[in-house]
Amino acid sequence: MIQLFHVKKSYPGDAPVLDDITLRVEKGEFVWLTGPSGAGKSTLLKLLFCAESPTSGQILVGGRNIGRITQGAVPYLRRNIGVVFQDFKLLDNRTVVENVGYALEVLGASDSEIRERSLKRLEQVGLKHKAASLPRRLSGGEQQRVAIARALVNEPTILLADEPTGNLDPSLTDSILQLLFDANARGTTVIVATHDRTLLSRYRRRTVALEKGKLVFDA
Amino acid sequence: MIAHVAWRLSRRAAVNLWRAPLPSLVSVLTISLSLFIGASFVLGLFAARALLTSWGAQAGVTLYLDKQTDDDKARLLAQQIRLQNPEVEVVYVDRAMALKRLRGDLGDMAGALDGLAQNPLPPSLEITPRVTLPPSGVRILAAQLGTVAGVSEVDYGREWLDKLEALARGLRVFGAGALFTVLGAALLVVANTIRLAVYARRDEIEIMKLVGATDGYVRAPFLMEGALQGLLGAAIALGAVVAVQKWLLPRASQAFAFAAGISAPNLAPEHWGALLGAGAVVGLFGSWLAVARFLKT
Repeated sequence: MIQLFHVKKSYPGDAPVLDDITLRVEKGEFVWLTGPSGAGKSTLLKLLFCAESPTSGQILVGGRNIGRITQGAVPYLRRNIGVVFQDFKLLDNRTVVENVGYALEVLGASDSEIRERSLKRLEQVGLKHKAASLPRRLSGGEQQRVAIARALVNEPTILLADEPTGNLDPSLTDSILQLLFDANARGTTVIVATHDRTLLSRYRRRTVALEKGKLVFDA
Repeated sequence: MIAHVAWRLSRRAAVNLWRAPLPSLVSVLTISLSLFIGASFVLGLFAARALLTSWGAQAGVTLYLDKQTDDDKARLLAQQIRLQNPEVEVVYVDRAMALKRLRGDLGDMAGALDGLAQNPLPPSLEITPRVTLPPSGVRILAAQLGTVAGVSEVDYGREWLDKLEALARGLRVFGAGALFTVLGAALLVVANTIRLAVYARRDEIEIMKLVGATDGYVRAPFLMEGALQGLLGAAIALGAVVAVQKWLLPRASQAFAFAAGISAPNLAPEHWGALLGAGAVVGLFGSWLAVARFLKT
């Protein structure tokens, strides 16, 4: 599903952010991507959804070498990848259901289909009753659940989450992670970047650790 | 599918304009001001050209005849010229009339002519075109009439016409250059104004791209908004130009003597279309430039 071969990412004048990363993630796997701040976790996720390109090495997603695809093909790749961020990235001037439906709009779905599927996802994350609310009226945990609903609404094969619980009260962490485990149980490949080691011990899954841009642990 | 995507993008463009009225208003006003300046400039050029043409038309041709030409022969010559050139008026000025006019022109100094033994002035034919002729047309007419038998000299204010033509030529070159500069500056100002509006919505662009929107899909509502703002701006500029033509210029003509001869040509439907089209193009292109920068990131 996802393969990285000797991937390096560096910026001029700085030490490499990622150095010689070789990694394979199978379809339907759940992977913790961990390491201290600055280890290169976010950069690795950015490489996977083409927000950055590798300096060298090859990255295959679903059998496609994303280092070689044209800029015009990137949006189509992203439609198969849901992304969740620490800061939610919701549009404040749109309602919850509009935020979730955004991902379906670009696919050219009809208004009724967008509404129906968005409400279904909101129901799965327990927020159907807040469909007409604006994001600023929601708590941090609720906003992250909206972001997860948006990331999953077009049923992507891969879900990438960058510190999804980093901004949340610890009491909300479990419910957010449960949504990611549920998505994984439905067959979605999930990679979650986190620096919170307590999560890794509480929820034992395959763990890939980075340190100063190098892969130091994979088990 | 294309139809409802187009409808959705149009609806979004309209909603975005409605939700952010201040940046939209600034863009519309910037476009209207730029187009008003550009349109006023073009109309000014039209008016200046019309003024130069009318000055050229005032330049008549005088044919000086041989001194020995008698009245009958001169009148016959005048008649011949009328028949050959029905578009001109011909007035015969005999030698006595020419001297009388000279006396009138000299005024108090006319006494100086009393010492002359005989009238030194030749008879002449004054030719005035009935239709407005450009300076080049006057020059061709003079050259043609100069070959008529019995004509000793042709005067058509050659230096004056040459200067007028040079002025018209200079005005054309200056006008084209200045118009290009004004429109270029307008485009840059509009692009920067729209860029500020787009900058305020960079999060939206980022999220659209994140969920797999193509560049075209991201760009479309912004282009629609730009075109709509351009059309609105052009409509305001059009209203302002018409107001200046119909209201301000007539009052200025009454108030100031120097403005009495100033009149701008009326705007034809194609001018309206050109102005509205220019507004839409400036808005579209300005939006394109503004969004392009954010799509790169």
